[in-house]
Amino acid sequence: MGAAGPVVTFLAEVYAWLMDPAHWAGSDGIPTRVGEHVQLSALALAVAAAIALPVGIALGHSGRGGFVAINVANIGRALPSLAILAFALPVAFALNLGLGFWPTFIALVPLGIPPILTNAFVALRNVDRDVIEAGRGMGLADSQLLRQLELPLALPVVIAGVRNAAVAIVATATLGAVVASGGLGRYIVDGLALRETDRLFVGALLVALLAIVTELAFGIFERVAVSPGVRLTRAAGARAR
Amino acid sequence: MKKENPMQRSRTFASVLIACSVVAAACGGTAQPSAQASGQASAAAAKPTVKVASFNFPESVILGEIYAQALEGNGYKIERKLNLGNREVVFPALEKGDVDVVPEYLATVLGFVDKTAKGSGDPKETSTTLQNAVKSKNLTVLDFANAVDQNSFVVTKATSDKYKLKKTSDIATSAQGQLVLGGPAECPQRPFCKLGLEQTYGIKFKDFKPLDSGGNLTVAALDAGQVDVGLLFSSDAIISVKGYVVLEDDKKLQLSDNVAPLVRNDILAKGDDMKKTLNDVSAKLTTDELIGLNKQVSVDRKEPRDVAKQWLKDKGLVK
Repeated sequence: MGAAGPVVTFLAEVYAWLMDPAHWAGSDGIPTRVGEHVQLSALALAVAAAIALPVGIALGHSGRGGFVAINVANIGRALPSLAILAFALPVAFALNLGLGFWPTFIALVPLGIPPILTNAFVALRNVDRDVIEAGRGMGLADSQLLRQLELPLALPVVIAGVRNAAVAIVATATLGAVVASGGLGRYIVDGLALRETDRLFVGALLVALLAIVTELAFGIFERVAVSPGVRLTRAAGARAR
Repeated sequence: MKKENPMQRSRTFASVLIACSVVAAACGGTAQPSAQASGQASAAAAKPTVKVASFNFPESVILGEIYAQALEGNGYKIERKLNLGNREVVFPALEKGDVDVVPEYLATVLGFVDKTAKGSGDPKETSTTLQNAVKSKNLTVLDFANAVDQNSFVVTKATSDKYKLKKTSDIATSAQGQLVLGGPAECPQRPFCKLGLEQTYGIKFKDFKPLDSGGNLTVAALDAGQVDVGLLFSSDAIISVKGYVVLEDDKKLQLSDNVAPLVRNDILAKGDDMKKTLNDVSAKLTTDELIGLNKQVSVDRKEPRDVAKQWLKDKGLVK
């Protein structure tokens, strides 16, 4: 009981913070901050996907240059986002984009590219060669092969890549607060500056929740998007293993 | 045998040192008044080593260098502990005797030493209150300089023209509820920041944007128009470099954060002209001088050591 005391007090503080109507309104309110976070993450993910998906799919389809592409993308994965953010700041100034949103956006896009690119490439490479041969034998053109065979079969792994990227971006968008961006990182950075641990904790909690929601949303999307036949095969495969 | 050699050497070294310091006045130059020359020479022999500290930001390092070199110029040996840390680190070190001299800011250190003490807009009053507060810690506040480094609220020239802003109170009269304030995250809760602007001036801002403590983010946000009013420090060279308009603190919200040396009593007792040396420095140090010093380091990228040396020479404080 003695050890639990401070924890209970702290959780009560966090609860009180969350229940305070002042924290649900205005430019520093939870709805605004969540909105900013989602907006920033969604745009960064969309641009990362727009770059990585065509490249990954093209390379996976042709089977060429994949080694180089994946390694280049992986360098992006090895770079700490904080370093990219520091680098993005002067770039954003030079382009007159100001503080906050755009520097963070510039830092988040390279974070999203590697998982999407790698998964797309591997997914297409791993499509059963016999199926492709069969398709070719049925007289499918190259573009038809891609659209009607390879992509539907590769889709679950491709979506998994986008999902990984999305979760990483949502979690990392927090860093933007360091360069005066909005979003949930504000609660964490400002909580540290103010030594308000309840604010800090709420920030961390909301980011974690948002990441989980993102994960779940992509799970649902996968269910809807993937052809039932493919899902069945995968389930069967999983059972067999 | 082997042990005696270094002993001998150090003894020789010591005697050379003593000889040197006895004739130091003669060696060093000719400016000492001859009537005092003999007394000066014997005092020089007894001058203690002074540990000069500074906080971990450029202005404090420059001030620390100035104190250090002014004392060196008067025959003190100096141990530099510059860029030591924030006040949470430096002040306890001063209390314990790990350091002897720190360039301080009157109102801020008063608030640090005594949370209940009421600072004032009058530096003399603040200095007296501070002296009473640190007496029991065996510390002395020497003369404060005219140089002030305090919160100042600035706007760009364009914003100043648009809303006719010259004084801080102008915000309430001509731009009430229309401007975005930018400053450190703690600003909305601090009496010398947004809270004070609201209570003392009756200003309402359209919004507040958390940035940093008078750093690059605030400058960038002002330039990009993401905030209209920014919190910078009065001695920051960037204000004049960017041509920002400093809003006059016409209702005296800010306390007198004049620069003053905070010194340990025991070192002050050992060095009889130490007080005079540091007070001479304070007498020459104005906010404009401080801005100039800061500019040389932050904009022109010069070394604090060189900047301090040149300044002391220009002011005739060292030869």
